[in-house]
Amino acid sequence: MNARPRPGLPWRRALLVVVAASGLALGAAAAAAAPGQPPAIHEAKAAKAVSAPAAETCDPTASSLRPSGPPQVTPGSFMAKIRARGYLIAGVDQSTYRFGFLNPLNNQIEGFDIDMVRAVATAIFGNSNPGTVHFKAISDQQRIPDVSNGTVDIVAHTMTITCDRLKLVDFSSVYFQAAQRVLVLKSSTAKSLDDLHGQKVCATRGSDSVDRIKEHHAIAVQVPYWTDCLVLLQQGDVVAISTDDSILDGLAAQDPWTMIIGPQLTKEPYGLAISKQHPEFVRFVNAVLQQLRTDGQWKSIYTRWLGSPAKDPPPAKYAG
Amino acid sequence: MTTSVGVSPGPVTAAPSVRRPWWRSRLDGATTPSRLRLLLALLIVLSLAWGVLAALTADQHASAAADVVAVSEPLSLDAEQIYTSLSDADATAASAFLAGGLEPAEARQRYQADITEAAIRIEAASALVGSSAARTQLPGHPPKQASAASTAVGDDLAVLSGQLPAYTDEVGTARADNRLGLPLGAAYLREASGLLRGTLLPAASDIYARESAQLTSASAQATGLPLIIVAVVAELGLGYVLFRSSRWLSRHTHRVVNYGLLLATLAGLVSLVWLVSAFVVGRGDLLHAQQEGSAPVQAFARAEVAALRAHADESLTLIDNSGDDSYQQDYLAQQKLLGPGPGTLLAAVQAAASEGGGGPGRDVGAQARAWYQAHAALRAQDDAGNHAAAVTSAQSGAAATSFGRLSTTLSEGIDTHQAVFAASARSGRDSFTGLAVGMIVASLVMAAGCAWGLSRRLAEYR
Repeated sequence: MNARPRPGLPWRRALLVVVAASGLALGAAAAAAAPGQPPAIHEAKAAKAVSAPAAETCDPTASSLRPSGPPQVTPGSFMAKIRARGYLIAGVDQSTYRFGFLNPLNNQIEGFDIDMVRAVATAIFGNSNPGTVHFKAISDQQRIPDVSNGTVDIVAHTMTITCDRLKLVDFSSVYFQAAQRVLVLKSSTAKSLDDLHGQKVCATRGSDSVDRIKEHHAIAVQVPYWTDCLVLLQQGDVVAISTDDSILDGLAAQDPWTMIIGPQLTKEPYGLAISKQHPEFVRFVNAVLQQLRTDGQWKSIYTRWLGSPAKDPPPAKYAG
Repeated sequence: MTTSVGVSPGPVTAAPSVRRPWWRSRLDGATTPSRLRLLLALLIVLSLAWGVLAALTADQHASAAADVVAVSEPLSLDAEQIYTSLSDADATAASAFLAGGLEPAEARQRYQADITEAAIRIEAASALVGSSAARTQLPGHPPKQASAASTAVGDDLAVLSGQLPAYTDEVGTARADNRLGLPLGAAYLREASGLLRGTLLPAASDIYARESAQLTSASAQATGLPLIIVAVVAELGLGYVLFRSSRWLSRHTHRVVNYGLLLATLAGLVSLVWLVSAFVVGRGDLLHAQQEGSAPVQAFARAEVAALRAHADESLTLIDNSGDDSYQQDYLAQQKLLGPGPGTLLAAVQAAASEGGGGPGRDVGAQARAWYQAHAALRAQDDAGNHAAAVTSAQSGAAATSFGRLSTTLSEGIDTHQAVFAASARSGRDSFTGLAVGMIVASLVMAAGCAWGLSRRLAEYR
C-alpha cells in the first residue's frame, strides 16, 4: 500500500459527517467534529503516485542497484559505520498484522518486514543478537523524510516502490509482491469491488486504495488504521475493506468470519527504502535479499508469517 | 423602653405651631379608649406582619440551605464522581491493556470499580434531577433558566447512560482481542477511548459545570443579604412603635410598666436576635463550605481529570505509536493545562491547599514535575527503540510511581475537601432549623402581649 494517514481522530464520529466527503476536507471536518480529541497534527499528504500504469515513467520492479557478489561490509562503507555504532536503526510499522506489528504477548515488534530487517542486521554484524536492531515505529508520512535525513538507516514498512518515490529515495529489489483486493464478511454475496457499487468500503485515509474504491463507484470510508477498518466491518458500518492483499491477509487472520474476494486490482511491489546517499548499502541489502531468495530463508519467513505453501519469492530485477 | 416614667396627666395637647399629619389630628379629636382600640389593632397587625416577614425570610434561607445539602451538593458530587471515574476508567483500561493479555488483577478491579461507580452515580443523578423540579420553584430563581439547565443535565445523563454500555463493550472486545495477541485489540481500545473522550467525558464535564454553578447559586441564595436586611429594619421599626406606644401609655395611664407590651418587646427582641444569629452562623458555615469545600474540590477534580487523561495518553502512545504522536501531543497539552505555573490547574490546587492550611496538595507541583521527567525519559527510551523498557516504566517503573503519587494526592484532596464541604453545609443548614416556626410563635406572642397589655387598660374605661 502507499500511505497510511494520521490517526488519533474520533473517526467513528467523524464518519457520519464525512462519509461522502473526500480528500483533505475530511481531516478538517473530523477535527472540528470532536473537540475532546487529540488533534490531528499532520494532514495526510499521501503520495498517490501509482495511479495508472500508463503514467509510469519507469519500471518500479526493475529500478534497484545490482549487488556485487555476496554481502560484504567494506571498510569506510555505510555498513561499517552501522557496525561501529553497534546497531541498525530500522523504521517499521507497528500495527500491520504479520508484516510489522507489536505483539501484545511479548511487547516485541514482529512480522515479515521485521524478519527482512533482521536478515540485513545479521549480515552486517555476523550474528542475530536481538540488540543489533533498534526498531523505530514510524508513520507513512515519516518514511521518506526519516530515511532521507538519516533518522533511520532503512525502512521496512509495506512500502510500495513507485516512480515518484524513486526520485526521493532508493529502494531494494522487490522483496514482496502485493496486490489490491477486497475483504468482506463470509456472509457477503459480493464477488468483487464492482458488486459493492454505492456501498461503504473502508480504507485508510489518504491511501491510494481510496482511489480504487472511488473508481469502482463505492463510497470510500476513511479511517486512521487498517485495524480501524476491521472494527467498522465487525460493527456493520462498512461492507468491505479494500487494500493490499498482504494487509487484508493480516486482517482476515484476526477475524475468521471474513474472506478475500475479487481479482488483483493493482500491483504493489514492496521494497526496503534506503537513502540515496548510500548506494553501497542498497547493493548490500540486495545481496542479502538475493541470499534469502536462493537459500530458502525467504520461503521459511513467508511460511512463518503468511502460511504455507510458500509462494516463490519475486525475482530480482535491476536497473542496468 | 417601657420603663420611661410618664407624669403628664390627661391628653397631650397638640403644639399649634407644628404642622401635624392628618391622622394625628384625627387622633387628637378621639377619646382615649378609641385611641387605645386603634393602637391595639395597629400593634396586632404589625406583630403578625413581622411574623410573616420573618418566617418568610427564615424559610427562604432554610430552604436554600436545605437545597444545597439535599440536591445541589449530592448532584455536584455525583457529577464530579462520574467525571473522575470515567477519566480513571480511561487511564486504567489503557494501562491494563499495555500490560498485555494477563492484565494485573488490581487494574481490572479498579476499572470495574470505576465503571460501577460511574453507573451508580449516573443513576443517582438521574433520580435527583427528576425529583428536584421543586428547586426550580424557589422564589427569586428564574424558573425558565433553571428548567433549561436541568433539561440539559437530563440530556447529558441520557447520553452517559446510553453510551456507557457501548464504551464498556468496546473495552471488553479490546481486552479479548489483546488476550489473543491480535493488534485489532488496540483498534478497539482506541475506539473506546475516542468514544469516552469524544462523547462521555464532554457530557460529564457539562453536568459538572452546570451542577457546580447550581451549587454556587443555591449557596448564594442561602447566604444572600437583601431579605435579612429588610427583616431587621422592619423589626427595628416595630420596636420603635412598641417603645412609643409604651411611653404614650405610661403618660396616659399613670402606670410605669405595661407588662403586655414589655412581653411583646422581649419576644420581638428574642426573635430578632435568633434570626440574625442563625443567619450569621448559617451564612458563615455555608461560605466556609464553599471556600474550603466545593471550590477546592473543583480545583482538585479538574486537575485530576487532566492528569488522568495525560496518563491515558502515555499508555495509548505506547500501545500504538506507529509514528503517530497525536496522543503524545495531547499529553503535552494536558501537561500545559496542569502546570504548575500561573493560571494552571495545579496552581489552583496549590492555592486551595495553602488556604486550607496543611491539607494535601501543596507539593503537587513537585510531584507533577517528577512525573513529567519520568515521562520524558520513557519517551526517550521508546523513541530509541527500547519499547519494552518504556512499557516497564509506564507499568511499574518511574513513570508509574510518580504518576501514582500525584494521582493519590489529588484524590486525597478531593476527599478531604468534600468532607469539609459536607460537614459545613450540613451545619449551615441546621442553623436554620425551626427558625421559621420560631418566628411565627414569636410574632403570636408579640400580638398576644399587645392585646393583653392594651385590653387591660381599655377595661379601666368601662
